[in-house]
Amino acid sequence: MLVVELDRISKAYDQKIAVHNLSLKIEPGTMFGLLGPNGAGKTSSIRMMIGVTLPDSGAVTLFGTPFTRKALARVGYLPEERGLYKKMKVVDQLVFFGQLHGLDAATANTRGRQWAERLQIAEALDKKTEELSKGMQQKIQFIATLLHDPDLIIMDEPFSGLDPVNAILLQDTLIELKSKGKAILFSTHRMDQVEKLCDAISLVNRGTVVLSGTMREVKSRYERNRVVIEFEGDDSFLKHEAVAECKQYAGRAELKLKDGADAQALLREAAAKARIYKFELVEPSLEDIFIQTVGGKADA
Amino acid sequence: MHEALLVAKREYLERIRSKAFLFMTIAFPLLISLMFGGSFLAAKLGGGAKHVAIASNDAAFAQSVAAELEQSKKGEGAKAGDKVEVVAPATAADRTKLNSEVDGKALDGYLWIETADGATPDASYVSRSSTDLFMASNLQDAVNRALTRRQLVKRGASPAEIEGLLKTVDVKSVQLKEGKLVKSDSMKSFLGAYVMIFLLYFTVVFYGMNVARSVVEEKTSRIFEVLLSTCRPESLMAGKLLGVGAAGLTQLGIWFAAALALTGSSLGAALGKDGLAAFGITGTQLAFFVVYFLLGFLFYSALAAGFGASVSTEQEIQQFSMIIVMPLLVGLILMTYILANPTALPVVLLSLFPPCTPVVMYLRISSQMPPWWQLALSVVLMVAFIWAALWVASKIYRVGILMYGKRATLPEMVRWMRYS
Repeated sequence: MLVVELDRISKAYDQKIAVHNLSLKIEPGTMFGLLGPNGAGKTSSIRMMIGVTLPDSGAVTLFGTPFTRKALARVGYLPEERGLYKKMKVVDQLVFFGQLHGLDAATANTRGRQWAERLQIAEALDKKTEELSKGMQQKIQFIATLLHDPDLIIMDEPFSGLDPVNAILLQDTLIELKSKGKAILFSTHRMDQVEKLCDAISLVNRGTVVLSGTMREVKSRYERNRVVIEFEGDDSFLKHEAVAECKQYAGRAELKLKDGADAQALLREAAAKARIYKFELVEPSLEDIFIQTVGGKADA
Repeated sequence: MHEALLVAKREYLERIRSKAFLFMTIAFPLLISLMFGGSFLAAKLGGGAKHVAIASNDAAFAQSVAAELEQSKKGEGAKAGDKVEVVAPATAADRTKLNSEVDGKALDGYLWIETADGATPDASYVSRSSTDLFMASNLQDAVNRALTRRQLVKRGASPAEIEGLLKTVDVKSVQLKEGKLVKSDSMKSFLGAYVMIFLLYFTVVFYGMNVARSVVEEKTSRIFEVLLSTCRPESLMAGKLLGVGAAGLTQLGIWFAAALALTGSSLGAALGKDGLAAFGITGTQLAFFVVYFLLGFLFYSALAAGFGASVSTEQEIQQFSMIIVMPLLVGLILMTYILANPTALPVVLLSLFPPCTPVVMYLRISSQMPPWWQLALSVVLMVAFIWAALWVASKIYRVGILMYGKRATLPEMVRWMRYS
């Protein structure tokens, strides 16, 4: 059973088309990366997924049934723009959010304390939000998202503003939740995190999906056309006809090959001219793919 | 409904527990007692003892006026230190001297009277302040009584006859209330109505604006983003109105309970045995007060919620609050007229116009109970207006709370209403 299925959803505000015929599927027990430049339609898509706004057309299916608000009890959403009541005690806030998600006050309180223990923030529970640092607030918000043990966890830029230690703490938490069968949707433009964590991605640009699939599929769709060479001696092989671009450093060069070029021919040429320590055909990073697909033109 | 109640509970507790609530609960009655008690006291004390001179070319008449003034001292507003000096027969040189004395603050003022046989005397009061109405009206009375006395003496009336003719009668006001004659003190009743209407106006505006402010706060802190993933915007708005309204009622409840307790205590007995009733405030009136507070609050806070959702900063709310309270202010400004003419057609119409209803209808109730059908009609009309306000506000609200940046224009808001 799919956790999320968006079927050709569209949304327009005034003259601006925010999302156009966007489709995606998220499996249970996976992390899904929703990528795209700013203003691509990521947040608009998420809002339609959880019924904050209704799509102009298309269908949203959660947990195998067409969207109803009842399904929201199984969804946890951490928005990019965080919000907590400034003057309210942290533990009261966690209980309030837990109750909104259908927990009773006692359960919400117990779970809130357990999570706070685990994320090493228990001392903050009896303070007011305004007394906490940004990073601490973020952890509290993270807990509020997970308190009701949701089966679908939606995280919009979850690690922004966190120091590396805390980022890893939250990251490990998410990995553990995934292993328990939860589906996690990541919305971000931090490609390195996505590459490390996500099983599947959709790359969105100007409101439509321009690239999607499992990480393997996506990467294999791109040729291994980058070469890293470490060498000593004659560097004239760098002018070989297969080479499209070349960045040369001391004893090292990073090359981009022409489409359809034969890397093996280049290797033979290089070996004939110089002493080769390393010759590696590198698969493109997600960042390369992102830039290549979106065309480097950020849609402001 | 469950979520709306949760939101309401949170809003309510947050307000009840806030320092601002405690402060208001204590400070507002103090403010009111300062305002009204203060002016009451000031009227009693006046501006300190007055020292005035009566100057005239006719010594006998000047003495007579001074005597009348002394006589009236026994009445209200007079103080032990008051001094009346007679300068007669006065000359132009005296006048110059009096002028310099007033200028030098040795005198508060002087009354200059010129009499000629057969003609009405010409009198003028010279003082530093042009607004000493109390003194001016006392002098006027004294001069007229002295004049009448002189005329009566001329016609041969005996001193006993003169005293009898000049005797003044105090008119007591009695009100017919629910079929019973009630001795009322129109000044105290006016004061009572004034305090209540001020309270009504203030609480409706304060709690209405409170709604707008908290919508903007949740918008700027981006809490809506989280809340909307579980709550319908309608529940959020309903919860907010419920919670804030309940906080307002709680505050009013505390004030009324305190007022009742106070009037029942020895302090109350010292102030007047009848307590609230002495100020013309009955249980019926209190009940209507609560009804019109709730209706007014719901109407204005619905507008405020819609408006709050369409702006992004607190400053914009300030400007808006000035405009939105206009209909309520109309009632306050016309208060004296409404209290005096509770059944005049314009007043009746105004009291049935929902934005004005809470203040104007309550004023009518404190003056004279309106016919039941007008009360019923006003409630029905208000409920209809509240329903419409809620409908429009909720449409604007559900789109507006996710829009940041510049304030929405009217056409934009109309478009928002079509989104949902």
